[in-house]
Amino acid sequence: MDQSEIDALMKSAGAQPAPPVPTDPEAEGRVISEIDAVTVVTERETNKVMDQLDLIGQLVNRQQALITEMMKQPGAQDPAVQEAIHEIMSAAKDIQDKVFGAMDLMQFQDITRQKLERIVYHLRQIHDYIVELLGTGLKSEGHRASISRTIQHTGTTPDERKADADAVVEEYLRSRNKE
Amino acid sequence: MKILIVDDSSTMRRIIINTLSRIGYSDVVEGDNGKAGLEKLAQGGIEMIITDWNMPEMDGLEFVQTVRTQNPTIPILMVTTNAAKEDIVQALQSGVNNYVVKPFTPETLKEKIESLLG
Repeated sequence: MDQSEIDALMKSAGAQPAPPVPTDPEAEGRVISEIDAVTVVTERETNKVMDQLDLIGQLVNRQQALITEMMKQPGAQDPAVQEAIHEIMSAAKDIQDKVFGAMDLMQFQDITRQKLERIVYHLRQIHDYIVELLGTGLKSEGHRASISRTIQHTGTTPDERKADADAVVEEYLRSRNKE
Repeated sequence: MKILIVDDSSTMRRIIINTLSRIGYSDVVEGDNGKAGLEKLAQGGIEMIITDWNMPEMDGLEFVQTVRTQNPTIPILMVTTNAAKEDIVQALQSGVNNYVVKPFTPETLKEKIESLLG
């Protein structure tokens, strides 16, 4: 919702009785701050998960190194033992791949964070507008320094507006080469 | 090959660093916004930049525009959640060489980096 839509909404509500003044106007501001804080906490917790995944990866690497050493031992030259060792190594590689896959999935944190930051930005605008209109309560803390200044224009893109980035890049490069 | 990663999300920087090390690029420096990125770039030795768009203090677009006034040839890959066509075109006009939308796969990042490095 942009400013003109908020203005239109307030104008259309003009004939209606004035909304009741919140009993605790600061409460809304606190809710916004709480949502804002979620983005900070989830990033911290996601990094803890990443730490654990890193550790698992290191342990698997260590395991692979030990098995490689073991394969050089005379007692490990038996074909049945060698086959079993190869299977263990293959399973270790699968674990490593899954660990990397789990790390890649952690991108969800950054994407969710940006969605929340955009919501917080608009909530702050609405909150401040209402406070100004009613002449009561405290304005929000304004822009948090760690949020992008362009988040209201960009942020995450709704699915229906997502373009095929490769196609856009190719089209752009083609048109530039023609010039 | 020293690569500069500029992203305000420490999680995302870790993911990119991890992906780069898996595809053979382990010499990496980091910045958490455009301003920090410019400082790292000024220290020299950087041969490629991977940057986010939405960042505090100096966003990715302003960062790319500033880099281009100093260095017109360094390969720049933008990795961002902005996926609208006009955003992609704006980034390319600002000097980005290629563009990846989050979430990305390691294969996509590898392909883009290799194509930029020729």
